[in-house]
Amino acid sequence: MKPFDIVIVGGGGAGLYAAMEAMKTNPALNIAVLSKVYPNRSHTSAAQGGANAALANKAKDDTVEMHIFDTIKGSDYLADQDAVEVLCSEAPKIIRELENMGTPWSRLPDNTIAQRPFGGAGRPRCCYCADKTGHTILQTLYEQCLKKGVIFFNEYFALNLSVHGSRSRGLVAMNMKTGKVEAFPARTVIFATGGYAKMYWNRSSNAAGNTGDGQAIAFRAGIPLKDMEFVQFHPTGLRKSGLLVTEGARGEGGYLINKDGERFMSRYAPEKMELGPRDLVSRSLETEILQGRGFDSPAGKYIHLDLTHLGADLIKSRLPQIREMTMNFEGVDPIEEPIPVRPTAHYSMGGIDTDNFGRTVIDGVYAAGECACVSVHGANRLGGNSLLDILVFGRIAGHTAAEEAGRFQPGAIPEEEVNAQLEEIRGGMHASGHYERYGALREELGQTLALNVGIYREANQIRQGIKDVAELRERFKKVRVFDSSDVFNTNLLQVLELKNMLDLAGTVAAGALARQESRGSHTRTDFPTRDDEKWHKHTLATLVDGTITLGEKPVTMGRHELQERTY
Amino acid sequence: MVKRYAYYLSCINESMTKEVDRSIDLWQKDLGIELVKLHESTCCGGSNLDYVSPKHFALVNARNIALAEKLGLDLVVSCNTCLMTMRTAKQKLDESPELRQEINDLLKKEGLEYKGTSEVRHILWVLVDDVGLDAIREKVKVPLKDYRIAPFYGCHILRPSKVLGRDNPLEPTSLDQLIEALGGKTIPYEHKNRCCGFHTLLVAEEESLNVAAEALEEAIQLKADFIVTPCPLCHTVLDGYQAKALKQASIKSSIPVFHISEMVGLALGYSAKDLGIKRHIVS
Amino acid sequence: MTVSTDHHKEAKRDVTFRVFRFNPQVDSKPYFDDYTIPVERGITVLRALNYIKEHVDASVSFRAFCQAGICGSCGMRVNNISMLACTTQVWEVLEKSREPGIIKVEPLRNLPLIKDLIVDMDPLVGKMTHYSNWVDSTMPEEEMGKKEFLVSEEEFLKYDKATDCILCASCVSECSILRANKEYVSPAVLLKSYRMNVDSRDGSHDLRLAELVKDHGVWDCTHCYRCQETCVKSIPIMDAIHGIREDAIEKRGVKDTSGAKHAEAFMDDIAKKGKLVEATLPFRTNGVFWTIQNLLPMAVKMIMKRRTPPPPPMVKPSKGIKVFRAMFREMSEHVKRDHQSHNK
Repeated sequence: MKPFDIVIVGGGGAGLYAAMEAMKTNPALNIAVLSKVYPNRSHTSAAQGGANAALANKAKDDTVEMHIFDTIKGSDYLADQDAVEVLCSEAPKIIRELENMGTPWSRLPDNTIAQRPFGGAGRPRCCYCADKTGHTILQTLYEQCLKKGVIFFNEYFALNLSVHGSRSRGLVAMNMKTGKVEAFPARTVIFATGGYAKMYWNRSSNAAGNTGDGQAIAFRAGIPLKDMEFVQFHPTGLRKSGLLVTEGARGEGGYLINKDGERFMSRYAPEKMELGPRDLVSRSLETEILQGRGFDSPAGKYIHLDLTHLGADLIKSRLPQIREMTMNFEGVDPIEEPIPVRPTAHYSMGGIDTDNFGRTVIDGVYAAGECACVSVHGANRLGGNSLLDILVFGRIAGHTAAEEAGRFQPGAIPEEEVNAQLEEIRGGMHASGHYERYGALREELGQTLALNVGIYREANQIRQGIKDVAELRERFKKVRVFDSSDVFNTNLLQVLELKNMLDLAGTVAAGALARQESRGSHTRTDFPTRDDEKWHKHTLATLVDGTITLGEKPVTMGRHELQERTY
Repeated sequence: MVKRYAYYLSCINESMTKEVDRSIDLWQKDLGIELVKLHESTCCGGSNLDYVSPKHFALVNARNIALAEKLGLDLVVSCNTCLMTMRTAKQKLDESPELRQEINDLLKKEGLEYKGTSEVRHILWVLVDDVGLDAIREKVKVPLKDYRIAPFYGCHILRPSKVLGRDNPLEPTSLDQLIEALGGKTIPYEHKNRCCGFHTLLVAEEESLNVAAEALEEAIQLKADFIVTPCPLCHTVLDGYQAKALKQASIKSSIPVFHISEMVGLALGYSAKDLGIKRHIVS
Repeated sequence: MTVSTDHHKEAKRDVTFRVFRFNPQVDSKPYFDDYTIPVERGITVLRALNYIKEHVDASVSFRAFCQAGICGSCGMRVNNISMLACTTQVWEVLEKSREPGIIKVEPLRNLPLIKDLIVDMDPLVGKMTHYSNWVDSTMPEEEMGKKEFLVSEEEFLKYDKATDCILCASCVSECSILRANKEYVSPAVLLKSYRMNVDSRDGSHDLRLAELVKDHGVWDCTHCYRCQETCVKSIPIMDAIHGIREDAIEKRGVKDTSGAKHAEAFMDDIAKKGKLVEATLPFRTNGVFWTIQNLLPMAVKMIMKRRTPPPPPMVKPSKGIKVFRAMFREMSEHVKRDHQSHNK
């Protein structure tokens, strides 16, 4: 295959923005987007709430500076302040750019883009389109990419980064429709594969495919992963399926109620109440449940998210998707009765370590979006900042790669490398004798992570989690692929995804054990307070000779001094 | 007691499928209903006028319905598309006082007013819901007991369901019930709720006839004795264009297609000749 | 407040999933496999399929991603109707199954089959591209990001519902015309085209419309409403199709294409006679040549059966046609007035 200038792995918000921006930057470049799903299926579509930008359409006194402060404070001061500045100052521009390209934002009476309040934000600055914001942004970007003639390799599964010395030669991927393993020699590669929170499996709201493929490939290629221990639990996942009820439901005035009928958030965030930041609200729910004030059911303990007082009209007009979803998945109409919810893993703050331009330690390899860690979210991401992150840094990565592609020689991937990949994935298909089922392993992985490396963490528990993960990795060697066909072998794909999750789970647990403090989403019951002296720094997990090696990296400070984080 | 209804004269039943009104005329008294024909009514606009001129569309159908309202009767039709069209117009009129006002100002000239008091209903619904299946059973003289019948509902008696609403749009039952009441055997016919292709016949003939051919083919494969439809438009395609459609699909066979009015007539003991069945293309 | 139903012991039912199977590498034609599994209330068809894949037969192939009804991956036919497996409750479908205890699961129709429940979406993407299903912004690229377009709530509402579309292709699968001709534009693509055309930020309206009125375009829809009835997001797709037609007649005139001419003929006839003059409808839609070539052989048979529609002079006008004509004309004045005030 003719070498590409840029190969983008992932067709969600970050990948598509990167592709579009790269084409804008240099239309002469040969750019390809590889995605294991059709781009419009990407998980960006599931982001319901919105994207933050200090447009000051709703609150006239909102400023970029306030957005910066809210983000840094929300991150529990672990975000790099220069990166946050990029994020927030680019925000109004990128939201307007999307608007200019056709994103159907909801509107205020003065016909400007509508904004609503969101957790942890000092002003109503979350721009939205009803409760389908991510979906409409993804559609817009996909449409614009089709318009620009971006070359898509849909339903290709990325397997391996071909690395030679300090630089990459391109990517090896499998064509899912044919089962063929193909080389994509490229000057540059951008990873935009989304998050890894699906490793919590049944206790995760993520799409089945949010298995950290990009991070796992980068990790195996020797690229450090940053702050992997930080996994955000969304406070309001549906009890049975883990699917999210967006923060928009609380933004519109929903109450959280325990079994004693209390609006218990008054105990934890008396001022912001239900609109406190996610980590705090999640912990509050978990505490209520652990202290016996949750409702009981065979599917586990839960809390009520009550919207009934908002009335049918408001629910129908502002939260139609939430209503549809709770009816379809939980059998509950929020107009009639409260929604049963509990915290669920839904966002991974950690990811591939990049600088503010999306670069990684390997020449020609970039990362953006949830797959990357710049870091703008630090220890805890604010609602409405994830869509913003993928847009802003997707665009930056696309621009950087387009500018820098000329510096690198086109790679040539040796055939042996392709064959080695093929052999490895075929290995599991011919196993005989005792074997393991991938489905069971996947579920056990989720269980041990939720139990031992979940919302509340403690040294012995984490060690148990590490032990469990190691055992699961051992058992994985015996997993058998039963589907022997080359065409669309979803059995094989799910096994490959499980491998990626198992490779990454160790880094989450290792970071969690090392970080002896509580900060943002990471709560150590044995170290209940933030320890700025020892732990105001990022962790870096690198694979050295097959072992996870932990390093560290300082946090870039700026105008905002460390403060206690209260709401 | 005789139930009275205003009866809408569909263009197609006035020209190509005259047998529909002819057969209904034969048996209406037998089933205790009286249909008062609205000779002043005009074409409903098919499913076309509403996007050529939404206001004219509302006007003509407000007038058609107002003619029935003047008599204080519900309006009964025996064409699916007329049904759908007039119910759509009614829904728009009932939702918009401004539109109603504008149109009533014009209707005044003829001493008419659209108030929204008359329902628009299909003759099939009148049979099943008003006359009632038991009453029909009682009147049957020649039960259709040896016949395997494929019920072809057509689209516009079912969909859009927010306008029609009588049957489940994807799993209708009313016609099946009528067939059973007449002593016939209704067969599980997947195309029962599918399209006949009529509305694109003049614009995309090949496609339309492929659509029709599929429906005919299934009925033939299921060894149905005949297809029955409540819609003269469906009948026109399935009967009138049957030879052409089947030829296009390389199917060497044929199947008769009846209107529900004829099927009722046969069961009530009227002859095929009186009912106008000889007018069909496929015998 | 409704009492929660959590506290009863969850009942299970044995359900047989009759799954369409086809692996192009080994199968010469498709077949069905039956999988009987216990299913409790609240379980979706997708979760049941996941269970079958994990516990019974790992080779059953289907797409699934978000499992939350927003990504559109798991469109398939369940008991003959296209829907999303992830938002479909097993027990609800079971109640309506023709064969008790059996749920039939098949791939979407009208798209090329790849394997089992997986179909190729490329043709749909190809059509989206062909019909420019994107906003072609009137703002030059270098100006973007500086200021917002101002969009009224009224305009937003015109396309709001259409942007719910997740391209699951249920409507594609259910479309009557697509079954007859795979070249047909497709309901989803018409919906998207409409959504772009009513967006004031878009500058390609006329170009898109010109493509839509060509063969295999908007006039080929046969108004069967199946797309709308099966839309998993309850989008009124037919309203969008009618919207394009209305627009086409307004912008491109009534003589533009056979579809437009056909529609206009209704207007003419009603204005003159109150009744449709069916005999000349084919001429007016497609011209004399087409009519003679296509309809003459059939006309002979129809004449023999006295089934031909009467010639124009024989079509009796509706009773009271004079007053009606006056009303109709006056309405035309209203419409003219509306257009003028709208254009202001």
